[in-house]
Amino acid sequence: MNQLLLIVSIAGSRVALPASAVESVIELDTLIPVPRSPAHVAGLSALRSRVLTVIDCQRALGLGVSDFSDGINEAAVVEVEGHHYALSVDAVEDVIEASSDLQPVKAAMGEGWERVARGMVETGEGPLLLVDITALIGAEAQERAVA
Amino acid sequence: MDDLIADFVAECREMLEALGGEIIAWEAQPDNRERLDNIFRFVHTVKGNCGFFDFPRLEALSHAAEDALADVRSGHRVADHALVSAVLGVIDRIGEFIEIIARGEEIPAGSDRALIAALAAPGDAAHESEAPAPVEPVQGEGDTPSTHQAQAPRTIRLSVELLDRVMSGVSDMVLARNELSRRLREAPEDVEVAGAFERLSSIIAEMRDAITQTRMQRIENLFVGLPRLVRDLSTDLGKQVMIDIDGGDVELDREMIEMIRDPLTHIIRNAVDHGIEKPADRLAKDKREIGMLRVAARQSGNQILIDIIDDGAGIDAERLVEKALQNGVINAAQRDSMTEAQKLQLIFAPGLSTAREVTSVSGRGVGMDVVRSNIEKIGGVVDVESTVGEGTCMTLRVPLTLTIMPALTVSIAGQHFAIPRTAIVEIVRANGHSVKLETVGGAGVATIRGQRMPRVTLSDLLDLPSDMADEDRTLVLLRPTGRDIYALAVDRIHDHEELVVKPAAPAVMGTGLYAGTTLADDGSPILLFDAAGLASVGGIRFDNAAAAGANDEDQQVAANDDFADMLVFHAIDGTRRAVHLALVDRIEEVEAGAVRFAAGRTRVQIGERILPLAGIADPKELDGSKLRVFRLTDGDQEIGYAFDRVVDQLKLDHEVIAADTPGEVAGVALLGDEPAELIDVHWLFADLIGAATVRSTARPRCRLPAGDPWIQHMLRPMVEAAGYEIISGSDGDAVPDLVIMSEDEEDVPAASARKLVIRARPDGSADSIYRYDRAGLMLALKNGVA
Repeated sequence: MNQLLLIVSIAGSRVALPASAVESVIELDTLIPVPRSPAHVAGLSALRSRVLTVIDCQRALGLGVSDFSDGINEAAVVEVEGHHYALSVDAVEDVIEASSDLQPVKAAMGEGWERVARGMVETGEGPLLLVDITALIGAEAQERAVA
Repeated sequence: MDDLIADFVAECREMLEALGGEIIAWEAQPDNRERLDNIFRFVHTVKGNCGFFDFPRLEALSHAAEDALADVRSGHRVADHALVSAVLGVIDRIGEFIEIIARGEEIPAGSDRALIAALAAPGDAAHESEAPAPVEPVQGEGDTPSTHQAQAPRTIRLSVELLDRVMSGVSDMVLARNELSRRLREAPEDVEVAGAFERLSSIIAEMRDAITQTRMQRIENLFVGLPRLVRDLSTDLGKQVMIDIDGGDVELDREMIEMIRDPLTHIIRNAVDHGIEKPADRLAKDKREIGMLRVAARQSGNQILIDIIDDGAGIDAERLVEKALQNGVINAAQRDSMTEAQKLQLIFAPGLSTAREVTSVSGRGVGMDVVRSNIEKIGGVVDVESTVGEGTCMTLRVPLTLTIMPALTVSIAGQHFAIPRTAIVEIVRANGHSVKLETVGGAGVATIRGQRMPRVTLSDLLDLPSDMADEDRTLVLLRPTGRDIYALAVDRIHDHEELVVKPAAPAVMGTGLYAGTTLADDGSPILLFDAAGLASVGGIRFDNAAAAGANDEDQQVAANDDFADMLVFHAIDGTRRAVHLALVDRIEEVEAGAVRFAAGRTRVQIGERILPLAGIADPKELDGSKLRVFRLTDGDQEIGYAFDRVVDQLKLDHEVIAADTPGEVAGVALLGDEPAELIDVHWLFADLIGAATVRSTARPRCRLPAGDPWIQHMLRPMVEAAGYEIISGSDGDAVPDLVIMSEDEEDVPAASARKLVIRARPDGSADSIYRYDRAGLMLALKNGVA
């Protein structure tokens, strides 16, 4: 009921991530590209002694490519199946409390959003799309397992 | 003997462990028959084994307990509290002795009179007071307590997870140290700070070593159950097998030990079930009745090698091939091109079993694919060698640890990567003397000191921009374990480092190129290459076709390999033609003057050899000063084929439309969306070689019996001097022109070969020659040459 949500913006849209799944929010430092990896893998970065696989969320949704050249990209760090990922987003805004359960989204969404949407939650700032982190990370992995 | 003792100890420990609960329960219910039986069985087993070994104290104890318990079982005696306590005391003492034996120490002298007396029937009231005697220490009366202290080992159980956390903490510490070190270098020098920092560094290094050690375990832990396993299996199967274990002191990452437990067990099951024959069959084959199974571990560099060798029936490679054909694992064309080793590798193909009957224990082949995939999962390899009738040797090669790996860092276009050092054979500069770089149909080839190998340029493979010339790069020669060598061209070589490797995210591993990620000393991530993966993605085909089928992705590639590789080229007259790549030995560039019409046909001189040349009608047609020639080989003889230029290397995946008449061109097929004429190499050889006299370059072959020292030392030099090439009996496909045999030997039917029978005495039948009849021998040999 009172799920905490991390509000981020991806490709200009404000969406929610389950805050319990997010370990920390970091600013991405250096980015080491991974040749021949799926396109939504922006590269590798390090957080303390851990290697983070950086996911370009915009790219994963098929909404264009993020610009990593200026070196200030915010990212949410999550752990999925023992691997640490940094979800690169436009901006991390706030943590707020959900005021409703998960509801299905009835309106038609873009194809990319459709794939990663878990549903809609009501918040004090209006309804927000709750994003499925696993789907976001694996986004294109199934489709182009081998680059 | 040691093995038997280890076996005994393992069995006793196992029973003691199981008895732990039984004894307590028996104490509560002394009249429970089932519990009593279990305990009786234990002391009985111990007693039985003691008679075999020389453990008098153990024997006396177990004998006394057995007697007492037998009385209870037969109803002559009731199990009262005193008896229970006494039996418990005996069992505890037996347990102590077992541990002493396990440590390889002598059981100290002394007596167990008090314990044995406590077992005596209640009628002997005198002993009743000392009935609960078991607490006294194990030493004989009056012994020093030193060994007693050793019995409480200073060890605790820890979860691997906790160790991993400590490990990762130490890694963090190393990184922090490196950061500090960099800062210190930038700051003005301060001797005291530098001294303190040095101390810190050495402590951290020591901790890192220690924590690595904690993850290591002696492989003995894995081996300790094997004698038992083998004994049980051989009893079930009515066989006699002796197991010999070696190298138990080799240390291995404890997780790794768990990972190889199942594969090793499986291989041993197979060896006992299908490798080693039944005693009667063994005797019939002149083998010792008892089969030998040897398990040996040894460390080699950063790898652990475990050999499992049996002296059983061996693997029938031909049967494997038949099976594989039936099951569609391979096709007939693949069969013909398979080497002996490749055939044996089929044992790892899924769903293949040569076991005529599936026994309860195993069916060889069933599950061997799982064995291989489990071993490959941890970065290991399984090799198999086998001789029919003599036995099989399986070798597991696994990395020492999953976490720390020595690696070489290289860079491409400024980005750093790491290559596992175990795969690296050699590093050479591309512009070195002994190195030659060539391109065949767009594919890179490197020749290093005469050895030719495929060459992959890393920047091309990774699509990274690098404008470095091929000659300026450095070649890293890699041999992925168990596969063929290849050269990887990198921009720059950096450093040898010990890296803490972690698995990368699935999306990264999915590329097939990487084995994991790691952090460099400056804290930035580095990708670690998988040497075998680089080669597969780079399009290198290994001779070892079966080994390439490591995972699903590879198997898909392997399926495409049914299509032959063709080299498409423009002939001298401009037609688009193609030739099987495998038949092209090399490409030579020759002066037009080297092509002559001589002795009835066009020939080309290459170096000191003159080859018949096809692809060109008349040498006078040549306009340029240079000419390119394919050297085609059938493995034995060579011919040349002149051409203009190579177009591409393509797979023949369309149907071939046969030519109307036999000739130089076998047919036409679509290759790369355009038709190309396929060269009929067989016809060329038949035409150029079959009729011609090139024969003189090939020496006649002579087969000698391998085992006869007189023939090997005395006769062989003579035969060689007469111009023969010596082949051994095992050289299956080489057909001898002359077979030399001694008189008492079985007649080996050899198709077209002449026979020369040597007799040891001067007098004998006329179809043989006396071994010192030099003139006669020379004449016989000469006739063979003529």
